[in-house]
Amino acid sequence: MQNNESNAKDAKSTSDEDDNRDIVQQKTQEEILFHEETIDLGGDEFESEGNETVSEDSNNFVDKLNEQMMESVIISDSPNNSEDDTGELGCLQEIVEQMEAKDNKKTEAEVDKEEFLSNESETEHEETPKDISEIGTDDQASLKEESIQEAVKEEPKMENNISVDKKPNNIDESKPEDQISPPSTSKPSSEAEPIPVCTIFSQANNVSTQPQLFLPDGFEPQMVKSPSFGSIIETPVKSNPQVVQPSPSLSKFFGDTVNTNTLASDFFDSFTTSNFISVSNPNASSSVPEQMSSLANGGDGSCASSNPTFPVRNGRPEAGGPPSSLEVTQSPKPFSQIQAVFAGSDDPFATALNMSELDRRNDAWLPSEETRNVLISVATQQYSTVFIDKENLTMPGLKFDNIQGDAVKELMLRFLGEQAAVKRQVLNTSSVEQSFVGLKQLISSKNWRAAVDLCGRLLTAHGQGYKKSGQPANHTTDSLQLWFVRLALLVKLNLFQNAEMEFEQFGNLDQPDLYYEYYPHVYPGRKGSMVPFSMRILHAELPQYLGNPQESLDRLHSMKIICAKILENLEQGLAEDGSMTNITQENRQASVQLWRSRLGRVMYSMANCLLMMKDYVLAVDAYHTVIKYYPQQEPQLLSGIGRIFLQIGDIKTAEKYFQDVEKVTHKLDGLQSQIMVLMNRAFLHLGQNNFSEAHRFFTEILRIDSSNAVANNNAAVCLLYLGKLKDSLRQLEGMVQQDPKHYLHESVLFNLTTMYELESSRSMQKKQALLEAVAIKEGDSFNTQCLKLG
Amino acid sequence: MRLTKPTLFTNIPVTCEERDLPGNLFNQLMKDDPSTVKGAETLMLGEMLTLPQNFGNIFLGETFSSYISVHNDSNQVVKDILVKADLQTSSQRLNLSASSAAVAELKPDCCIDDVIHHEVKEIGTHILVCAVSYTTQTGEKMYFRKFFKFQVLKPLDVKTKFYNAESDLSSVTDEVFLEAQIQNITTSPMFMEKVSLEPSMMYSVAELNTVDTVGKSESTFGARTYLQPMDTRQYLYCLKPKQEFAEKAGVIKGVTVIGKLDIVWKTNLGERGRLQTSQLQRMAPGYGDVRLSLETIPDTVNLEEPFDITCKITNCSSERTMDLVLEMCNTNSIHWCGVSGRQLGKLHPSSSLHLALTLLSSVQGLQSVSGLRLTDTFLKRTYEYDDIAQVCVVSSGVKQS
Repeated sequence: MQNNESNAKDAKSTSDEDDNRDIVQQKTQEEILFHEETIDLGGDEFESEGNETVSEDSNNFVDKLNEQMMESVIISDSPNNSEDDTGELGCLQEIVEQMEAKDNKKTEAEVDKEEFLSNESETEHEETPKDISEIGTDDQASLKEESIQEAVKEEPKMENNISVDKKPNNIDESKPEDQISPPSTSKPSSEAEPIPVCTIFSQANNVSTQPQLFLPDGFEPQMVKSPSFGSIIETPVKSNPQVVQPSPSLSKFFGDTVNTNTLASDFFDSFTTSNFISVSNPNASSSVPEQMSSLANGGDGSCASSNPTFPVRNGRPEAGGPPSSLEVTQSPKPFSQIQAVFAGSDDPFATALNMSELDRRNDAWLPSEETRNVLISVATQQYSTVFIDKENLTMPGLKFDNIQGDAVKELMLRFLGEQAAVKRQVLNTSSVEQSFVGLKQLISSKNWRAAVDLCGRLLTAHGQGYKKSGQPANHTTDSLQLWFVRLALLVKLNLFQNAEMEFEQFGNLDQPDLYYEYYPHVYPGRKGSMVPFSMRILHAELPQYLGNPQESLDRLHSMKIICAKILENLEQGLAEDGSMTNITQENRQASVQLWRSRLGRVMYSMANCLLMMKDYVLAVDAYHTVIKYYPQQEPQLLSGIGRIFLQIGDIKTAEKYFQDVEKVTHKLDGLQSQIMVLMNRAFLHLGQNNFSEAHRFFTEILRIDSSNAVANNNAAVCLLYLGKLKDSLRQLEGMVQQDPKHYLHESVLFNLTTMYELESSRSMQKKQALLEAVAIKEGDSFNTQCLKLG
Repeated sequence: MRLTKPTLFTNIPVTCEERDLPGNLFNQLMKDDPSTVKGAETLMLGEMLTLPQNFGNIFLGETFSSYISVHNDSNQVVKDILVKADLQTSSQRLNLSASSAAVAELKPDCCIDDVIHHEVKEIGTHILVCAVSYTTQTGEKMYFRKFFKFQVLKPLDVKTKFYNAESDLSSVTDEVFLEAQIQNITTSPMFMEKVSLEPSMMYSVAELNTVDTVGKSESTFGARTYLQPMDTRQYLYCLKPKQEFAEKAGVIKGVTVIGKLDIVWKTNLGERGRLQTSQLQRMAPGYGDVRLSLETIPDTVNLEEPFDITCKITNCSSERTMDLVLEMCNTNSIHWCGVSGRQLGKLHPSSSLHLALTLLSSVQGLQSVSGLRLTDTFLKRTYEYDDIAQVCVVSSGVKQS
């Protein structure tokens, strides 16, 4: 690609000069006609030699092969030579030349309007090669570039945050001190951390019941302050009693006999156990401002007060878990000592209820031998401490604090002025509820950058914030879900390196503290992995976007093995993890179904990864396997395989697959399959270089489904290849105007801006108009590169 | 703008399960994304076409297509617009414009469009020269040109090798095997649509690139129909001289033209390229004036038991009648039976004689038949024939069983 760039650049440099010369020529010669003159670039060698040689030339391939390529360009004597050489130097040169070109433009503009025209459209033409935006086939290189930029941007931000970070550090320091005198506090403070997590279900009835639940204990929700919170929350300070707040569910469980009949699921963070949503965590109801205010009151002080009403806690100073342990270097002990006071494991109530079918089915995972041994020892050595090497624990923390920023707004500031930019209104991290609800709102409104930031805040509240990496952490279902969402969004934003940086801390997602069995007292009886399956998929897929598809394949293969093993266990009448648990036929069926679909999902990723590796034969095989797991997607997948062959250039095989699709869809009728068949036919014509027929089929689809974005866009592309630029533009513009919400897609916009650049030197205005449209409809996750406003 | 084939948009699937925090949010986002495949959103390869983003590479044998658009950016009508596109190569200048007629007038914000195509037949620098002339409203004649330079690269590396198969005993024909190595030296996968050998008039060709198994022939390359960058494939062809040439003197001497390879490939979305090699030439094995070839020989013989072979001796010289003497020299393992130094009689040009000989081997294993000497008594020139053929020598017990 670099070659091309420099070539294109060469063209530019030479042409720039030639243009200059042309003016001179132009002025001297009055009658301008087309001469058959050769370009004044070359020397005498350039004289054309007549056409007889053509056929021979083409045939003398082998002779040509022996020639040196590239260097042997015979253009020698012209003054342009020097320019050529400099042009070859590299990309940096380009910038200089561009500037030169601009200068030329300025001066020449006065000289002659026509000249202006030529220069302008020329740069436009040249720009196309330069603008290798990341949409293309060579994603990786450009994507990397992007994320590097991103990283650079963040660097200063992180530094800024250092001062802010001191506060939480103070908290940490003060905490241990407090712990020494009344050991019981450690538990509450750490347990209180996950508070905002639970707000995902902000149900009204909860709000009403909440005070009652709290009353008996006299506890107020308390949270360790996160650096990012403090500056934003401006809610008035409420006069809350500064007491340490244990996890309300736990306090309920221990403190009050009235609560003994609460569901055992109250122990768990809410949302994964969908059965118990509303009851599960009273914290879910505590309104955010309240939490914040108590926070603002000063988290430090709150730690100081202990609660003497909980004698149970005295026995287990370590119960608070790793976050509160004094020395970080010491390997933290799991909650084994809690067992002494906790009769929970004998409580059939808790065990039976908690180990709900859904949980078991969803969370099942097979740990590695090593991890399993640790988990077994945690389960068996009830009264002694199990020491676990620090390396085997997961201690994540945010690696960068803030990726907020709205590229659209920045561009607006640059091109449309401040006034226009002010109008741009998107949700940001602070404008939504600091909870799962707000998070969902940000995600669905496509403000993913803000959503990533919000995840970060919520994680900070979990004690896994910025600079917390390497410090012992307390994992809950919710904290892992937050990590999953944050990382997934980073991937969606193509910020792969950032995602990789934070994902690294989780190792291979198989450390003992990521299993429920590691916390027998928090999650009595519950088994399996806290890491959501989708997070494993994400983890496995990530390396392929960073240029290491082999690693992705390895991870996917080990996932595949585990999924297959679980299915095997189920088929042999065992539970997912191979234990002898009785499962009803119905539940077994449901579980088999779930795990089959998960296995299918792994195969999907594998196929996608192979496709990315350009190992088409294996990719096609893998997609065939996917069909077995997702038979309902057969027509789409067969079409996809057909397109793979089209991409390779194997039109015949592609046609075969498209015919198979027609056979499959023949049985089912309906709009979608009809469209699919037409789409495939259009693609086939495309492969046969027949753009007019392809256009006919794409138009046919539009007749059935006028809002089909793909057909619309593809028809427009065909029109361009047929030499109908204006028609093509009309079609795309019409489509974008018709339903901007759906059609402001980067691929469509990319095509549109490319055509604007081809059309006229005034493309800038039109691109800016697109920017305005984008500003109204799109969130902060919009990829502005497709507008080519660079 | 160069019109390479458009590419398909790929998206990055991020999914989650119902019980995960975002619920079905991620999946819904993917459903709403117009670039995903409906019903199979996890499929990476979408259906959305995107225009080429850069000039890309162009290779010998491919077709260079370009969009030429002349747009009137001004607010004046211009007249008599003539657009001309020429391609300057290192050896010639070609006119690529579809029409040479002038357009009468071009209104503001209108454009003249043309798509040009050209099959690239030369390696090296090409310059596309676009020249536009027009007349302004004031009657002033204007003219400007623009240049676009690009390099044409070599897509394939072809190496060939000949094998002479003269030990084909069933017939006298001189078969030639051609092995061709074709390497993809581009940066994209390449589907080889056709690689065929077009033989010269003297030969007929059989392609040996499929394996016939019960009724259907299967490519020796298996399911892999394409060549990855830097991959090499070997093709094998068997050439037989046509009857009329084989009969004629039974000799093909010196440099002969075998034929040429015709290669057609396709890349992204059917972008096609085609190349032919120059005539492949082969130096026929030099048989000298006298050629000795084997007609019959057993493949397996018993140790220390005589066996018969039949040789054919041909006078390859143009007009000289030869008087030949046969000598037989024993080697370590091969022992000739019969009289050495006997006269074979007169042999006229382009005629041949058959000679039955008997020999035995004293060593087991694969033994080479060597040691025949023919001496032309007139010129006192001796022709040596070693390694004529090989036989497998086994102990008699083995053979019987």
